[in-house]
Amino acid sequence: MSPNLLLLAILVPAAAGVLALLMRGRAGAVSGPWALLATAANLGLGIFLFDKQADLNLPWAGFGLQFVLRLYQFSGFIVLATACFGLLVALYSIRFMAGRANRNQFYGWMLLSLAMVNGAVLANHLVVLLFFWEGLLGTLFAMIAIGRPGAWRTATKAFIIIGISDVCMMLGMALAGWQAHTLIISDIHLPLTTSVCTAAFVLLMIGAISKGGSMPFHSWIPDAAVDAPLPFMAFLPASLEKLLGIYWLARISLDLFELTPDAWVSPLMMIVGAATILLAVSMALVQKDYKRLLAYHAISQVGYMVLGIGTAVPLGIVGGLFHMLNNAIYKSGLFLTGGAVEHATGTTDLKQLGGLGRRMPVTFACFFILAASISGVPWTNGFFSKELIYDGALARHWIFYAAALLGSVLTAASFLKLGHAAYLGKPAENSDVKFDQVREAPPSMLLPIVILAAACLVFGLGNALPIDHLIAPAFAGTHFAAAEHGAAEHFAGWPESSMLVLMTCLALAAAIINHLLGAKRAGSGLGAVDHIHHAPGLAQIYDAAGKRYFDPYDIGMALAKVASRILWLIDRLIDGVVAGLTSGTARGAGYAVSAAHTGSYALYVVWSILGAAAVAAYMLMH
Amino acid sequence: MSANVLDIALTVLLVAAAVWTVSTARMLRSVIGLAATSALLTAILFRLDSPLAAVFELSVCAGLIPAILVSAVGLTARMDDDALARRKRAKLKVFALLPVILAAAAWALVRLNVPLDFALPAAQGPGATVQTTLWNLRQADLVGQIAVLLAAAFGVVVLLKGKSQ
Amino acid sequence: MLDLFILAPLACLILINLPPVGSRRLALPLAMVLAGVQAIAVLCLPYMPRLDGPLTSFFNFGLQITPLGRMLLLAVGLVAFVSLLVGQASLGQDRRLWQFASMMLLAITGMNGAVLVSDLFSLYVFMEVLAVCSFILIAFNRDPLALEGAFKYVILSAVASVLMLGSLSLMLLVAGSTGFAALKAALAAGSASPLLKLAMAGFVCGLFIKGGLAPFHAWLPGAYSSAPAAVSVLLAGVGTKVSGLYALLRLAMDVLPPSAALGQAVMVVGAFSMVVGAVAALVQKDIKRLLAYSSISQMGYVVLAAGCFLADAGSADWRLVAAGELAMAGAIFHLFNHSVFKSLLFVNSAAVERQAGTTDMQLLGGLGSRMPVTGATSVIAALSTAGVPPLAGFWSKLVIILALWQSGMQAYALLAVAVSVATLGYLLLMQRRVFFGRTAPNLQGVREGSEGYVVAELILATVTVLVGLAFPLLMHLGSFLLPANLNL
Repeated sequence: MSPNLLLLAILVPAAAGVLALLMRGRAGAVSGPWALLATAANLGLGIFLFDKQADLNLPWAGFGLQFVLRLYQFSGFIVLATACFGLLVALYSIRFMAGRANRNQFYGWMLLSLAMVNGAVLANHLVVLLFFWEGLLGTLFAMIAIGRPGAWRTATKAFIIIGISDVCMMLGMALAGWQAHTLIISDIHLPLTTSVCTAAFVLLMIGAISKGGSMPFHSWIPDAAVDAPLPFMAFLPASLEKLLGIYWLARISLDLFELTPDAWVSPLMMIVGAATILLAVSMALVQKDYKRLLAYHAISQVGYMVLGIGTAVPLGIVGGLFHMLNNAIYKSGLFLTGGAVEHATGTTDLKQLGGLGRRMPVTFACFFILAASISGVPWTNGFFSKELIYDGALARHWIFYAAALLGSVLTAASFLKLGHAAYLGKPAENSDVKFDQVREAPPSMLLPIVILAAACLVFGLGNALPIDHLIAPAFAGTHFAAAEHGAAEHFAGWPESSMLVLMTCLALAAAIINHLLGAKRAGSGLGAVDHIHHAPGLAQIYDAAGKRYFDPYDIGMALAKVASRILWLIDRLIDGVVAGLTSGTARGAGYAVSAAHTGSYALYVVWSILGAAAVAAYMLMH
Repeated sequence: MSANVLDIALTVLLVAAAVWTVSTARMLRSVIGLAATSALLTAILFRLDSPLAAVFELSVCAGLIPAILVSAVGLTARMDDDALARRKRAKLKVFALLPVILAAAAWALVRLNVPLDFALPAAQGPGATVQTTLWNLRQADLVGQIAVLLAAAFGVVVLLKGKSQ
Repeated sequence: MLDLFILAPLACLILINLPPVGSRRLALPLAMVLAGVQAIAVLCLPYMPRLDGPLTSFFNFGLQITPLGRMLLLAVGLVAFVSLLVGQASLGQDRRLWQFASMMLLAITGMNGAVLVSDLFSLYVFMEVLAVCSFILIAFNRDPLALEGAFKYVILSAVASVLMLGSLSLMLLVAGSTGFAALKAALAAGSASPLLKLAMAGFVCGLFIKGGLAPFHAWLPGAYSSAPAAVSVLLAGVGTKVSGLYALLRLAMDVLPPSAALGQAVMVVGAFSMVVGAVAALVQKDIKRLLAYSSISQMGYVVLAAGCFLADAGSADWRLVAAGELAMAGAIFHLFNHSVFKSLLFVNSAAVERQAGTTDMQLLGGLGSRMPVTGATSVIAALSTAGVPPLAGFWSKLVIILALWQSGMQAYALLAVAVSVATLGYLLLMQRRVFFGRTAPNLQGVREGSEGYVVAELILATVTVLVGLAFPLLMHLGSFLLPANLNL
């Protein structure tokens, strides 16, 4: 295989995306099928490239900047996975986006995002990676901004939050490159023993987890869930960005740096992961909007992956990677069911929904499977990956295990609430939705959901398939695999520890009991967790969170306002002293030089002769 | 002995003619001075066995080009009496400096101990006439020479012919 | 083949001066065709078979072409073409056009000759051809300011001639010949002799006067700003480049022995020009004067890099030698880029002068909306001059600064960066005063310049953008623009 084919993985979606952007006005009707075609081609390419290895090295701009791409098991896996999601979302969007004015922009930016993700995944040079990484930030901004009016505010928020973490990542890259004396990613192998290397790791980690949407870089996601077109949520925050962020987290933990349980960054990652799980899931618990609730889960689930990789034990890492894949499947599936509901009823406000199960049986069935999967019900894929992570966490400290398990309880509880409120019970009274006219979603929207739900079961029942063929090869060749021989056999199959399975079942049972009691007390599925929401102490915290007191972005913005005021004052001062001085000097010198040009021929001749004499004298003296 | 006296006399005359050329206020005298300087230089070059250079000097540097420009300037600004008087005074100052500059240069040459005696390269063969040298060795210069003359001729047309604006 | 570069303009000159007088109308188009053909022919030169026709056996000019020469010939063709375009748009009558075309043909002869000869005296002769043409062209319109500008140039050129001829005679005395090869051998053998040092210093200083380097530059602002627009374009674009800078670079590569002292002296002059030009440009009120000072400053970069080459060439450390070669490559590249973007800026100023009637920046403003092409191309040229990526000027400055840094001359490198910032400052100031802001009431009726200006601007802007974008490509192709022996 010619390595130049790797370029196709970037150029094909990019070119298709640019073309889609050009299909303005009436031509926009073609943009959907066009995107479908392009993503199908991209998937074909992904399948072709999967399981192959290739290195591409193009000299770029000279001065050591090369365009280096590398395809191997891990990057091939991610390219394949993103290609699958791309195709499914494109298929789904055809009906969902039909008739919207800016659909061609949606497809255009979507295809460009695919190109950027492919580029970032294949990049084997830090600068090349950064280029595509930032490119994805640009397309993200555009995709949010084309949502409902006013969405640019959320887009800016996302841009600033990710931009800040990307600056950290840039610094990390510079440090790593300096320490390793190379910018070629596959040549970087640094120990996590010196403080500089650790700093580089932490900075790179910030970039990775913020791309994944972990706390404290999460706060744009729930806003985007409301403002951006829905398929966007299924496409970027739910699947592609998770894949890319966790891919990079795994790369820096496994390849670029030797993450070991001794390094202090390991507990740091676990704390970040556990905190993300608990905080985000508790926010999810009390949401009253289908999409916002899912958005908080999108954040919470990253916590499991960060926690899993942060354990720095093989079980946890494999679990984290498997969870990355599973999460992308069920989370994008869940968002798509949300889109189906929105398509059918025109709203995602849970107060206005209810009893949709009978009207939309296929969607409900799929939702059931997907929700079971995210809650970790046995025999679904989420169950297996979570068990691996639990096992890894327990190996480090029981407190992390406890946090993860508590997270699962709350996840299950919130999905029981969501399912109950949206699909079961009676249609809400005084709702704007006309329930008699609600129909099942069209087949082109159902098909992606069904495929994703089926994938949850297939990857659960036959978990050896993804673990042995997708995850383990990526894991092979790292310093962990070298230590653990025959690593692949451990991970697949039913969890070894029956104790853990029992605990999981107990947790799920607790969630169900909590739901039944809560629903009975409140009289509706929607109010099933009100007793937690309004519990003394918690109520105030939720209230404050609702007012965004805890949003790092809002806090940062408030601080930035104060800081900018102070800086402005300092700036005036410096301007007055330094800038005035330098520009004054420059102008003074300029006028002096100008004044020296009197127009006298004699003077000019004298200058020349003196200059020549000086040069001659200097020459003669040396 | 007499040859030396002649050489020195020619050189002194040359310098005098050059000074007069620069210092005179009337355009016509200035052009005459320039022609005289050039003629003296030609004579010196012949004395130094360098007919080639002498021919060059006569053809180009005989004041043709500078004369064009000097007269062009003359077209635009004529000096009044006041200006002439001021110029005379300024001239004196400049020429008072001339000996000082010359003395300083001579002193510098002596101080820096620049060796002025070294083997001269062999003269060109006896057959080297003006034509053969020009045609065989310095053909490019010949073309350049022609171009300079053409340019000067066009300069006359461009700058002097037709009404002044 | 190469003879044609000298003989063809002369032949054209004869053609347009033959009776009947009606052929005078064809003078300017013919000259334009010649310049255009020259630019294209230079590009094709490496791929052409050597044609040794009867012409070559009849004439014996001893011509030589180097990569540097090829680049200069290209610049001469390009800029002469543009200058003729501007001339056609600005001079009006047939008679004046014919005179202008004749002078331009002679100037092209002079420049091509100077670029191609391999003999120091011939180089001097062709430089004089160009100089005489320049005097006349500057004074072409016979207005008093232009005559004064031309006269200053004559005076300082005379000083330069004295310096160069004196040095030439000293060199001839020692080497017995003025051919480059013989001189190189003689200079290398006797490089310790004070007489030869004096000769080298004198010749180089003569070139500094011709090239307008500070403190030898005093003729330049007046000459550039008072000359007719088309002549400013030619002079600033290639005129002083060929007679001063080209000769300096050629001598540095082919004649002068590596010498740290000479290199240092040259670098000091270059750095001084860089700073003086930029500082003086900051306070200019007239566009053309500002551009003239900017030229002085930009030529400082070229001379600085040439000095770096001279200083490094004799080093025993191969890395320093390589850095010196890189500096020379940067100098050559910057010379070409400067030809393009500076002539573009002068074409812009010519368009503004023609349409708005003045080049005084205090009287101008808001012309960008009235003259969109001029405004846009002017911004491109200004950014390229200041070295903003990805335009051509960025790459050449980058190469020069990198080379200085690698040669261990960090102070000069930082100075070059600082001057770059100042360059951006004064050029943006100019843009703001001329093209942005509110349109003054008396300029409301101003329109875009005629096709001649627009075409000229578009050609030059395209070149500067394309060279900038394709620079990585040019680097890899082993390249037309950069010397082949460059190792990066």
